Amino acid sequence: MEQVSDEEVEVRGEEEEEEEDSDKEDQDLDKMFGAWLGELDKLTQSLDDGRPEQPPQQKAPLRQETNMANFSYRFSIYNINEALNQGENVDLDALMADLCSIEQELSTINTKPNSAGSLARLGPTLYLLTHQASLSMDEAARQTSSHSLSSRQHRRTGSVGTPFHFEEQAAKLKADNIRVALEKIKEAQVKKLVIRVHLSDESSKTMMVDERQTVRQVLDSLLEKSHCGYSPDWSLVETISELQMERIFEDHENLVENLLNWTRDSQNRLMFTERIEKYAVFKNPQNYLLGRKETCEMAERNKEALLEECFGGSSVSVPEMEGVLWLKEDGKKSWKKRYFLLRASGIYYVPKGKAKASRDLVCFLQLDHVNVYLGQDYKSKYKAPTDYCMVLKHPQIQKKSQYIKYLCCDDIRTLQQWINSIRITKYGKQLYINFQEAMRRTEAAYDWSSLSSSSIKSGSSSSSLPESQSNHSSQSDSGVSEMTSSSHTRSQSVVSSIFSDAWRRGTQGEV
Amino acid sequence: MITISLTLSPSMAAWDLSVTVEDLGPDAPPVTLSVASDLHVGGVILKLVEKTQIKRDWSDHALWWEQKQCWLLRTAWTLEKYGIHADAKLFFMPQHKPLRLCLPNGITLRLRACFSNPVFQTVMGICRMLNIRHPEELSLLRPVEHKKKKKDKDSAEEIYDLTEVPLSSVSRPCLYNGMPAHFADSPQMEAIYKMLSVTQPPPAPEVVAKQYRPASVVDKAHIHGRWLNSSRCLLQQGIQENDRVWLRFKFYAFYDIEPKYDVVRLTQLYEQARWAILLEDIDCTEEEMMLFGALQYHISKVSQSEPQMMSSNAAMDDLESALQSLEVKMEGESSSASEMLVRYKGCTLIFKHVELSDGTVCFRPKRLTLKGYKQYWFKFQDTSISYFKSKEESIGEPIQQINLKGCEVAPDVNVAAQKFLIRLLIPAPEGMNEVYLRCENEQQYAQWMAACRLGSKGKTLADSSFQNEIQSIRSFLAMQKTNSGSHGNAPANDESINTNSLVSPRYNKKYKTKQLTPRILDAYQNVAQLSLTDAVMRFLQIWQSLPDFGLSYVVVRFKGSRKDEVLGVAPNRLIRIDLGVGDVVKTWRYNNMKQWNVNWDIRQLAIEFEGNVNIAFSCVTADCKIVHEFIGGYIFMSTRSREKSSTLNEELFHKLTGGHEAL
Repeated sequence: MEQVSDEEVEVRGEEEEEEEDSDKEDQDLDKMFGAWLGELDKLTQSLDDGRPEQPPQQKAPLRQETNMANFSYRFSIYNINEALNQGENVDLDALMADLCSIEQELSTINTKPNSAGSLARLGPTLYLLTHQASLSMDEAARQTSSHSLSSRQHRRTGSVGTPFHFEEQAAKLKADNIRVALEKIKEAQVKKLVIRVHLSDESSKTMMVDERQTVRQVLDSLLEKSHCGYSPDWSLVETISELQMERIFEDHENLVENLLNWTRDSQNRLMFTERIEKYAVFKNPQNYLLGRKETCEMAERNKEALLEECFGGSSVSVPEMEGVLWLKEDGKKSWKKRYFLLRASGIYYVPKGKAKASRDLVCFLQLDHVNVYLGQDYKSKYKAPTDYCMVLKHPQIQKKSQYIKYLCCDDIRTLQQWINSIRITKYGKQLYINFQEAMRRTEAAYDWSSLSSSSIKSGSSSSSLPESQSNHSSQSDSGVSEMTSSSHTRSQSVVSSIFSDAWRRGTQGEV
Repeated sequence: MITISLTLSPSMAAWDLSVTVEDLGPDAPPVTLSVASDLHVGGVILKLVEKTQIKRDWSDHALWWEQKQCWLLRTAWTLEKYGIHADAKLFFMPQHKPLRLCLPNGITLRLRACFSNPVFQTVMGICRMLNIRHPEELSLLRPVEHKKKKKDKDSAEEIYDLTEVPLSSVSRPCLYNGMPAHFADSPQMEAIYKMLSVTQPPPAPEVVAKQYRPASVVDKAHIHGRWLNSSRCLLQQGIQENDRVWLRFKFYAFYDIEPKYDVVRLTQLYEQARWAILLEDIDCTEEEMMLFGALQYHISKVSQSEPQMMSSNAAMDDLESALQSLEVKMEGESSSASEMLVRYKGCTLIFKHVELSDGTVCFRPKRLTLKGYKQYWFKFQDTSISYFKSKEESIGEPIQQINLKGCEVAPDVNVAAQKFLIRLLIPAPEGMNEVYLRCENEQQYAQWMAACRLGSKGKTLADSSFQNEIQSIRSFLAMQKTNSGSHGNAPANDESINTNSLVSPRYNKKYKTKQLTPRILDAYQNVAQLSLTDAVMRFLQIWQSLPDFGLSYVVVRFKGSRKDEVLGVAPNRLIRIDLGVGDVVKTWRYNNMKQWNVNWDIRQLAIEFEGNVNIAFSCVTADCKIVHEFIGGYIFMSTRSREKSSTLNEELFHKLTGGHEAL
């Protein structure tokens, strides 16, 4: 334990050597953040104990406020971008003045610690960092303004010699600087979330994800850090304890977007576990795609042919899925039998006294806005006929609501068939691409593990090597560190170092 | 060989062969030639041409032997080898003759098609002329006869004439201005190409109602009994010059659709799909029908406003660059986005908010009265709506701010009653919040509706699609206006589209126009942003994901069964349907098919699947060659992906579908 935190101190020391610009201000900020995080952790602890000191006033998702925060910045960026695209006629000096005024605004805001940035708490497991936005913005603007100042001086002194040529050059240089500054501002606007991921052995890891990261990228960095052996079955599972349901996040989904649906006082958990059902469809397609009732074996080459047939074409064929399911009646604990059918356009049921001709079907639900969840222990919670229940709801709904639909199957096999068929209908080819990608990672991991212990994905996020600005996709912004749920004192230093690391990245690549 | 002919020739006596030369006119007597049995067919033709003394290009002409129903195409064969004697009735005529071809879009073309090659090749030739790639997916079928009153209407029908296209130019189409060179010759020809490549406006509901609609699976099976035999030529199948045949996509495995090259193919495919849905040839649910309706509306609207999009490659490229410049322009205009915001603050909305508590039933406001609606000052910013007590307070904190990202936006509009409601279903942790915004007029509604839609997609007003969105909402409102004025009786014209012409007659009976329009409008909001090509592709995609897609039916009698059943042939499987209940009894997939055989004597098909599954059946509503061709054809279609070569493996097709007639 001690060792680890020592290392962190070292890392921070290195940073200071490298960053020429980093001065007292930075250290102050670090301290400030450390203090905040400490307070937040206390708060978390008290919440975990079940005695909240400050009952949360607002339950609305965080998104609503955060979206507004950066609004004005976005607009100024629009304007500048547009001006830059128009070419030579732009008054660069005016632009510079704009940037400087933004900088001034920011620095006045920054003097008040409360508005310098915001670290929003998002339930016991999540923190949202929006601080970088304003901070790096400030930094970027300051950098550029100093450049522009120097170029202005150059112009004055150089006007004796070849004024025209030099002026042109200076203008170009300035334009470049502005461009760099803009890129940095964009980069700085990336939202980052500190999350706690629970492992199956009751321990947990804390890591930072940025809003651009897909579930696959987060899984990769988790796998890389936890040395738990590659398998395509590793999943990030969202459990909504209040509703007793869970869902495996799809690899292509955006993690931050999903987590922002959680409420502030949410008891939801993010689990990192192996789930064979995640890609069972592709391992035994014959059990899911043929609409058969019984499980069976199939030769590998036939499986491939079947997958190719279903996912290879221009349109994905929806598995033939129909049968009697139990539907929980709204607001009651009674369940009604209905004959349900799955179509590409949604889930339908056959109305009483009608045949199952397409034109008579009643649309139960369209799948565009809902996700499919696995219900847990509904026999006792809702008096369900069996424990094989699935739930369909909008991802943002977190509390009991009439908009949540509960369906119950007779056996586990039917349940899995339905859940997987709905996933195929919803995501189509993307699901197959996810699987192939997961398989590629697994294979690659085996190849590499024999050569060296370093992983193929960028593991450099916690080192202090500068990364290229343009290559966002391969850049993993997560810093994972081992910790248990009890060691809050440690988490503080870890998080603050993660923060400073990320913040530094927002400002690196300076000329 | 030579020695034999030498020994035989002295004994060969000359005899008279009479040949009817078509070009001399129908009443002209047959030309009589003096021939010997060792004369080869080429020699006969030479003699014939000399005797007629007509100077023209005879290269397309060949001899047709009427009694035997075959062409004498092997000019090196002798009369003896063909078995021709003096009693043979021969005709000398061109191999390419005019044919009236009814396209999937319902329009009839007159073109010169090959009457002497197998239909498979004839279709290839037709597709080359029309610039349709992958001709193997199409075929010809006999039209359904119109038994009813045969008015003068048929003769009045406009027929597009392509018979003047020189046959030589068809061999390898070189593209000129994005279309085959023969279409670039004259404005008339260009008009024909436009007809081929641009979707037709929606048909009037009466036209749809008049068309033949199969009422049952058996009716559909009868249509599939009309497919021509791909292995034999047109003349052999009784198709005469100027006869009418249908060109349709037969195999529902559309390979490698590339909008850039497949302009005509895509258009005709869309037309075939659209008619299949309008005529209820394929079943769909009400929700799907409304979406199809919305897409049809969108496609016809977009293709009217930007016809150049589908017309040619060059135009496509131009358009792409035009779009790019437009985007730049839009970006440029985004500086006025804040200005837009200011304008938006100027809107007052009458507003009703239904808050949900603890999952109790949602309270529905009385929509048509102003009761229950309170007036607030609204502001649209970013992707959120905020509202204030009054304009003066709009500088301060809003009463509430609603982020629209991810919410459902639905219209509730009645132009005649001046009701302009926007229904928002906003997800929240506690459930969905239902909010109604009531706008004062059309103008305000269109702008706020557009803003809400963009907001729900996470886009701001600065997005380039904002103005388009407003436009499309207004045009849809305009449609509702014209509809309510004309009571839906007016035939479809270019200005307004009748919603009744977008759905099948069943739904026209079920719903009144004013009920139908909002439902289509509802579905329309999800597709309004699609480009023409994307909309067509989406239409095809939804069509292809219908459960019954790609099924061609035949009534069959299974071996050992005493009743008629229906066999459905799909691109990947065969299904057995019980005629009484209409249920699928059994599914067999081609993937585990081991072999299939046709017993041509008893006209029975026998198929063996893996796992010792054997089935055998005879066909009732179609010749067993048709079923054989369907199965073999689909097997052939599935081989295409493996060999990526662009040339069509004709030989393989005939091998798989030809049966005993295989070449």
